Amino acid sequence: MTVDRVLGLGAILLAIPVAAASWGFGVGSPKSPGAGFWPLLIVVAMAGLGLSLLLHPSQAVPSAATQESRWGRLWIALGTMAVYVVTLDPLGFPVATTILLFVQLRWVESRTWRSSAWIAALTPLIAFVLFRVLLKVPLPAGVVPLPRGW
Amino acid sequence: MDTIGPLLHGFAVALTPGNLLAVLLGTLIGTVIGVLPGLGPTASIALLLPVTIGMDMVPALIMLAGIYYGAMYGGSTTSILVNIPGEAASVVTCMDGYQMARKGRAGPALGMSAFGSFIGGTVSVVAVMLISPFLAEAALKFGPPEMFALLFFAFTCIGGLTGKSRTRGLLMACVGLLLGTIGTDDIQGVDRFVFGTLYLRDGIGLVPLAMGLFGLGEIIYNIEQREETGSVLETPKNLLPTLRDWKDSAWPIARGSVLGFGIGILPGGMPAVASLLSYAVERRVAKRPEEFGHGAIEGVAGPETANNAATAGGFVPLLTLGIPTNSVLALMLAAMMLHGVTPGPLLLLKWPDVFWGVIASMYIGNAMLLVLNLPMIGLFVQILKVPYGILSPLIVMFVLLGAYALNNSVTDVLTTVLFGLVGYLMKRHGLEPAPLVLAFVLGPMLENNLSKALIMSRTGSPLFFFSRPISGTLLACAILVLAFPLIRWGWRRATGRRPAPAGA
Repeated sequence: MTVDRVLGLGAILLAIPVAAASWGFGVGSPKSPGAGFWPLLIVVAMAGLGLSLLLHPSQAVPSAATQESRWGRLWIALGTMAVYVVTLDPLGFPVATTILLFVQLRWVESRTWRSSAWIAALTPLIAFVLFRVLLKVPLPAGVVPLPRGW
Repeated sequence: MDTIGPLLHGFAVALTPGNLLAVLLGTLIGTVIGVLPGLGPTASIALLLPVTIGMDMVPALIMLAGIYYGAMYGGSTTSILVNIPGEAASVVTCMDGYQMARKGRAGPALGMSAFGSFIGGTVSVVAVMLISPFLAEAALKFGPPEMFALLFFAFTCIGGLTGKSRTRGLLMACVGLLLGTIGTDDIQGVDRFVFGTLYLRDGIGLVPLAMGLFGLGEIIYNIEQREETGSVLETPKNLLPTLRDWKDSAWPIARGSVLGFGIGILPGGMPAVASLLSYAVERRVAKRPEEFGHGAIEGVAGPETANNAATAGGFVPLLTLGIPTNSVLALMLAAMMLHGVTPGPLLLLKWPDVFWGVIASMYIGNAMLLVLNLPMIGLFVQILKVPYGILSPLIVMFVLLGAYALNNSVTDVLTTVLFGLVGYLMKRHGLEPAPLVLAFVLGPMLENNLSKALIMSRTGSPLFFFSRPISGTLLACAILVLAFPLIRWGWRRATGRRPAPAGA
């Protein structure tokens, strides 16, 4: 199935529950539109475009094939970002970012242990001081004890 | 209309030390961002938005504008020296710029690109200055039907001008419109698609959406698909183009300035579209088209001029109508809103300092870029020598930091990562994120004006829009744009011409 057909089918399948929800918000009438009027118009257009893609897909252009060796790196990169979201508040910006950078530098980008450790340790600290102290952006400190006034 | 007096006032605003520093910082940051592949102006402006909240309104906007046109300057350096476009508008510069560098002519390529950018940018700023007051005055007469028709016309254009397939572009735009409906409805106060969450009641933020789709999406894609490309990483010695280079480039620069400005003011008229069209035009009118792709300086001068002209041109609809024509300008709109400025016809009357200060800063910024960038080319070459493997995680860190800093919200970071994944999948399958982001911004404006216009009509009839000359004309234009493929198909059938094969 080509990308166009998947998109077309996806658009039609999405349109059905969204149309039902829009109806629930109250569609109103053309002279007094309700909250569901606009979303309903959008999904009608979406379904039409989806049908058009389903019936007249453009010639299939193969998407770029992933090199076998890079799949693992991709998953590690995505995984570290997910872990970052979960740990940012409890661990704080400096520690969570150090972990994110170290894993990405060492295992996604294959840098040496030494350069990964240096960059991962120093960059979050510099960014933390720059943003928290100089630019007054309240980044979470988490487990890192802060000097008074920071 | 007197423009000299207000412009002088604008210079008085832009030439204060604080604002001069903002121009310098904006253009420098923009150039470095343009030089670095993987961090485009959209993600960068999104990243710096939280930082500008603490700044005064005028320097903040001057700095963000500087980042945008600075990035257009910087993008060509990477294209010419490393054969990787620093940002989308410099893709075509790779074709001839890199070939010139391989032949030992990187200096004239970089020099002509800088001069062309300066000329295109300056010509375009003059045009912005001359046109904007008239357009703003005309737009003051626009009511909801006219605004809806204008926005609808913009919407139909963004599907056609980006990407290879109009239907796909329009579908992405519909997804953007739908995402724009999430949250509490402005008119009725009804919660739509919030799934009981507090976070979604305010709607999805533009910054996490744009940073995810453009910033993280690009980085994740590059992790998966890294290509080794050749590079000519030596600091070029002589940057000044020869007399022959100037002779060859004069007309491409002139055409690029006009074409770039014209594309820039159109909805969907991204600098990348302007540079691509300029390249196509130059190739068509060239005396020696066979030299294109093998180091023709016209192929560098025209597109680089056009993308800078388009960048400045995009400020016309943003400042006078409040309509962003591309995703970077959508973020500029968000930045203005954050500072309490509503772009549109009243901007000139209510905030003349902002309007004329930004315009004057663009003159200064263009000159600054020319004076600073040529001597600093050695520094940019050094920046380019930093391995991408080190830059990539650092860019991820800055994108996630920017996502957090806007509202101090981890949920915004999660939203950015999710849209990063969506952006990666879209890029992998050849789908353009720009229509989605633009429609996301235009959607609430479209809905608001449509509702008001329908209530105004008293009957709810769509014919009401055609009973007013401006909205009728704009809607007719939009219908023509939508029906264009059908008209072309009918024309080809009538004249017996076969359609060109896909991709031709």
